Amino acid sequence: MLWTLIQREILANLMTFRFPIAVIACVILGLTITAALTDNYERRLASYNEAFQTHQEKNFSAKTYSGLTLQLDRPPNPLSLFNQGLDKRAANSVRLRRDKVPSVWEDNYFSTGFDNPFRHLLASVDIVTVFQILLSLLALVFAYDAIAGERENGTLHLMLANPVGRGLIVLSKYLSAMICLMLPVLISFLLALMLQLQSPVIDYSTADFLRIGGILLTTIVYLSAFYLIGLLISCISRRTATSLISSMFIWVVLTFIYPNASLFMVNHFIETEEKIEQADRETSQIMEGFQREKAKLRDPFAPPFLLKGHWSGGSISKDVTHIEAASELEIPTVKAYYQELEPQRLRAVEAAWVVRKQAYSETFVHRSTAARNALRLSPAGLYYLATAAYAGTDLAAMEAFFKAVRQYRQTILDYFYDKKAFSSRQWFASDKGAVRWDDLSRFSYQALGDLTEDSSRASGELLRLLLLNLVLLIVTIVVFSRQEV
Amino acid sequence: MLWHIVGRELFQQLNSLRFLFALLLIIFLMILNAIGHIKQYKTRQIEYRQQVSTALERLEKNSDNLYNLVMRGPGGLNKQPSKLAFCAQGSEDYLPTSVLGWSAGWSRSSPTYKVSGLWRLMYDVSPPITGTDIFPTFLKIDWILIVSIVLSFLALVFAFDAISGEVERGTLRLTLSNAVARGTVLVGKFLSILMSLGVVLLIGILMNLLLLSGTLQLNGQEWGRIVGVSVVSLIYLSVFIALGLFVSSLANRSATSLVILLLLWVIWVLLIPATFGTILSGLNQPLSTQDYKAQRSSQRKEITERYEARGVYEHVPTRVRPPTDATVLWAEFLNEERRADFRLNKEFLAARTHQIQVAREFNRISPTAIVQYAVESLAGTGFQRHLDFLKNAERYADAFNDFLIAADRADPDSLHVPFVREGMSDKPVSFESIPKFQDSVRLGDAFKGALLDVMLLLLFFVVLFATAHVSFQRKEI
Repeated sequence: MLWTLIQREILANLMTFRFPIAVIACVILGLTITAALTDNYERRLASYNEAFQTHQEKNFSAKTYSGLTLQLDRPPNPLSLFNQGLDKRAANSVRLRRDKVPSVWEDNYFSTGFDNPFRHLLASVDIVTVFQILLSLLALVFAYDAIAGERENGTLHLMLANPVGRGLIVLSKYLSAMICLMLPVLISFLLALMLQLQSPVIDYSTADFLRIGGILLTTIVYLSAFYLIGLLISCISRRTATSLISSMFIWVVLTFIYPNASLFMVNHFIETEEKIEQADRETSQIMEGFQREKAKLRDPFAPPFLLKGHWSGGSISKDVTHIEAASELEIPTVKAYYQELEPQRLRAVEAAWVVRKQAYSETFVHRSTAARNALRLSPAGLYYLATAAYAGTDLAAMEAFFKAVRQYRQTILDYFYDKKAFSSRQWFASDKGAVRWDDLSRFSYQALGDLTEDSSRASGELLRLLLLNLVLLIVTIVVFSRQEV
Repeated sequence: MLWHIVGRELFQQLNSLRFLFALLLIIFLMILNAIGHIKQYKTRQIEYRQQVSTALERLEKNSDNLYNLVMRGPGGLNKQPSKLAFCAQGSEDYLPTSVLGWSAGWSRSSPTYKVSGLWRLMYDVSPPITGTDIFPTFLKIDWILIVSIVLSFLALVFAFDAISGEVERGTLRLTLSNAVARGTVLVGKFLSILMSLGVVLLIGILMNLLLLSGTLQLNGQEWGRIVGVSVVSLIYLSVFIALGLFVSSLANRSATSLVILLLLWVIWVLLIPATFGTILSGLNQPLSTQDYKAQRSSQRKEITERYEARGVYEHVPTRVRPPTDATVLWAEFLNEERRADFRLNKEFLAARTHQIQVAREFNRISPTAIVQYAVESLAGTGFQRHLDFLKNAERYADAFNDFLIAADRADPDSLHVPFVREGMSDKPVSFESIPKFQDSVRLGDAFKGALLDVMLLLLFFVVLFATAHVSFQRKEI
C-alpha cells in the first residue's frame, strides 16, 4: 500500500515544474561555485607551497641556538570547498619563538587565505552555504501544498475514503518528496566532486571521501528537516496560500535572521575586553618581574662588553662570529649567564601563557561555545556546524594546528635541554662552527587531521538534526491524525 | 480613481498577516542594530581618539629637531570612524584603520657615515587578522542587511499574488469591468505595496534612530545623508516590487509566481553579489605579497648600486657652504629611493584595489550589490570611503613634505638641500605650525559616489516596471 502511495506521489512531484527548476538550480550553482573555489584553492595551495619552500630554507639557517626562530605554515584545506569555515580567516603562518607561546586567539598572526586582504570585502560562498539556502527553500516549496493543497482540491477526502492509515499518508508523502529532492542534491554533489577531481592538485584519500560522505549525509538530513517543517505547516494551514506565506516567514527566520541575530547577541552580551586587558596587565607584570631578575644578572652584552669581537642579533638572539683571543677567558661567565637566564625566561613565558590561556578560555572560547550553542537551535546552524566539523574547517580544527605548533615548540625546548644548549658556547657564538640542526625533528602538519575526532564532533550535530527530524515527523503524524479534513 | 485603488489595496495590505509579520521582524532587527551600534560606536570613538592622541604626542616629541621629522614622519594617520556605521558596516573590520607615515625601516652605516631612509607613507601589505574574529562567521546587522535582504524578500512576499491572486479569485475581472485602465490598476497596486513597505521601513528607522539619539549627536549633514539612505532604500524596494508584479502578471497561479520569485531572489540577492564579481576578479590576480617584497628589495638594491657607481659612499655630505657635490648627490639618492619605493607600494595597492573594483563593477548586475555600494557611500563606510581616506592621507603627506621644506627655508643657517641631514636645518620646529592630519567624510564625495548607483537602480526599476506593464496589458484574464 505504502509503495502505491509513494509511486503516485513521486509521479505527481516529478510532473510539476518545481522539479526541473530544482535540478537546474542545484546543478548550475553547484558547478559555478565549485569551479571558482577550486581555482581559489589551487592558488592558495601554490602560495602555501611557495611560502613553505622559502621558510624551509630560512628556518634552520640560524647559526646559534639562541638565533632559532621558525615560520610554520598551515596548508589550505581542500574540503574548504564544501564548507570554508575558518580556513581562510584563521592564521596560517605562525612565527615560533621561544619567548612566546602561540595561540589561535592571538591577533598578531597573518592569514594569507586571500593574498589580497581586500578580498575579504567580497562575500565568498561555498557549497554548503548554497545548499543551506537553496535546499531549505526547495524543501519548503515542495512541502507547502502537500497536504493543504490536497485538502483544497478535495482529493484528501477521496484518499482517506480508502482504507489507508493517516500516518501512512504522511509517511508516503515524506518519502516520495525526499526521493525527488535527493535527486538534484546527488546530481549536483556528484558533478561538483567530479569537477574537483579534475584539478591536478586535489587528490582525496579514503578518509577524505568518508568526510565528503558525511557532508552529503548531513545535507540530506538537513533537507529532510526543512521538508518536515513545511509538511507540518501544510498540515496545520487551511489554505495553500497561508501555508506558503507562513513557510516563507519561517524560512527567512530560521536560515537567515535567527543565526545572524543570535550570533550578534552572543557577540554583544559576552564581554571580552575587560578580562583580556586584565590578562595583559598580569602578563606584563610577569614579564617585568623577569626583566627585574634579568637586571640583577651581569649582561655580558651590555657595555662594558665582556667579549671583544663581532656579533649581531637582537635582545633574545645572539650570534658572535668572532671572539678575540683575550676574551676567551670570559666565555665561562657568558655561559653561566645564559644557563641562569634562559630557564628563568622560559618559566616566565610559561607563567604568562597560563594566565593568557585562562583568560582566553573565559572570553573567546566561552563566547564561541555560546555561539555554537545558540546556532544549534536552528537547523541551518546545525547543518553549518556539522559540515564544518566534517570538512575540518571549524574552530577545533584551527586550534589543532596551534596545538601542534605548541607541541613542536616543546620539542624544541626539550631538544635544547637535551643538548644542554643554554650552557653551550653555540648558544651565543658561531665562531667555532654553526649549529647543525640535523637531529631536530621537522614540523609537519596535514590540513586534515584525525577523522574520528572530527567526525565525533560532527556526529553530535548530526544526531541533533536527526532528532529534530524524528520529532517533526511524529508531531506531523499526530497533528494530521487528529485533524478534521 | 488611482487613489481609490491605492486606498483599497493599502487597506488590504495593512490588515494582512504578512504586514504584521514584516513589521515585527523589522522592528526586532532595527532594535538589535541600535543596541549593537551604541556599544560599537563608543569603543570605536575611544580607539580613534587614543590613536590620534598617541600620533600627536609622537609628533610633538619629534618636533624638537626638523630632521627628526624628515626621518620619522608624522606617524600613523588614522581613519575617522563614521557616525553612520549603523546604516552600513561596510566590512570595516577587514579594512585597515590607519596608514603608516613612519620611518623607512632601513639604515646603513659605514665607518664614516650613518644614514637612514626618509619617512614615507606605507600601505600595509598584509594587515594582521584580529584574533577575536575567529568566531563562526556572521553578517553584521546593519540597515543594508535589513533593507537589501529582509525587506527585498518581504517586497516579493507582498507582491507575488498582487495579480495572480486576483486572477485566481476572479476579482481582477470585476475590477477591470469598471472604467479603469489596466495601467492605473498596476500603478495602484505598485503604490500601495510601496507605501505599506515604506510604513514598515519608516517605523523601523524611527525606532532605530530613537534608540540611537541618546548616544549620537547627528548634525544637519548627517541627517541629510540618512534621508538619502532612506530614499535609496525605497528605490531599491521598488525594483523588487516591480519584479514581483511582473512575475505575478505572467503566472496564472500565485504559488507558481512565488516559487519563481523566490528562486530569482536567491540567485539575484544572495548568490550573484557573493560569487559573480569574486569569480571574475579572480581572473586578474595582482602581484603576490611575496613577489612584491622581492621586487621592493631588488629595486632598492638597484638604486643603491646605481648611486654607488656614482660614488655616493665615497664622499660624505657636509655642512660646507655652498653645498658640495656629495651633499647634493646624497640628497638625490635619498629622495629617489623614497620616491621609487613609495611608487612601487602605491602601484601594488592600486593593483589590489583594482581587483576589488572590477569585482564591484560586475556585482552591479545585482541591485543588492548596487544598493550596498550606494548606502556605503552615503554612510561614509566601506571600500570607496577607504579609498577616499587613502587619498586624504596622500594629500596630507604632500602637505607635510611641503611644510618641511618651508620650515627649512625659514632657517637662515641651513643649506636648503632637502632631504639630507647635513643639507637641512636641525633646529626645533614649533609643534603648532606642523600640519595635522584631519580625516573627514565630505558630503560631496558621499553623494557623488552614490549618484551612479542610484541611477542604475532607477534604470533597473524603469525596465522592470515597463516589462510588468506590458505583460499586464497583454494578459488574458
